[in-house]
Amino acid sequence: MSEAPPVDLSPLDPARDPDRWASIVEQTRTRIDAVFLERERQTDVLTIVAGWARPVLAAAAAVLLLLAATFAARSGTPAPHASGARSLAALSAGYADGHVPTGAELAAALGGRRTRR
Amino acid sequence: MEETDAQLVLAVRGGDRAAADRLLQRYLRACRAVALAVTGSEDDADDVCQDGFITAIARIGECRDPARFGGWLLQIVRNRARNQLRARAVRETRAIREEANGNTADPAAAAERTELRLRLNAALQALSAQQREVVLLHDLEGWTHREIAERLELPAGTVRSHLHYARRKLRDLLGRADGDA
Repeated sequence: MSEAPPVDLSPLDPARDPDRWASIVEQTRTRIDAVFLERERQTDVLTIVAGWARPVLAAAAAVLLLLAATFAARSGTPAPHASGARSLAALSAGYADGHVPTGAELAAALGGRRTRR
Repeated sequence: MEETDAQLVLAVRGGDRAAADRLLQRYLRACRAVALAVTGSEDDADDVCQDGFITAIARIGECRDPARFGGWLLQIVRNRARNQLRARAVRETRAIREEANGNTADPAAAAERTELRLRLNAALQALSAQQREVVLLHDLEGWTHREIAERLELPAGTVRSHLHYARRKLRDLLGRADGDA
């Protein structure tokens, strides 16, 4: 099949009005900048949240264990997760030295399993 | 050597603003051609091509195959153009109206250009949406058959036949309009 000759579509060319087209391109660039800025802002927020999450979880675990130990002492039953309390003590000491606990360490402290360091 | 789409997409994901600009230079006109093919309105096409491109950059993490960014982007533009078409009430094209109102140094030449654009747009409406995309991308944007086939995800033979049919139909309609005048 031989190809039909092209039709002149240049009247529909956006560049026939270069100023208008340049303005559209520029507007698009400005909006792209906004997308990048928004993405950077979201990344910053996520980084902050991620930085705080583990210390906050560690503190929450400590409070829970303290409550559990208090409850056990009052009711006369052995404290649950005694090994968890030991893990927690190790975590607390590590955190004081600047070590942020990992998720596995926290889980071990809460569940009473021995951590792998 | 020119970066591939995949390289540029990965760079944009990594926060490279210049890579986004290269994708803009590579694709914005094609976005407009596809938007024009769907909406039949240059004003709408100007808006939709921007919106579609921005959406693609904002959602670039969702582009599953970066090598196929072009096809993915044009699909976003096509969807937005369809939405625009649905939302649009009967509305005249602002630019055409302004030109027709004589807001130019040479009103006669402007009127002639406006007339030509209206005729071309009317003739394009006689084609299917896919034929319009093919003929605009090939004859206005200078894309090759292969590029169109890849980015519209069509067989090469279909691209050729769409182009052939679209050109013949346009020539027929525009020639007939000349004969009627």
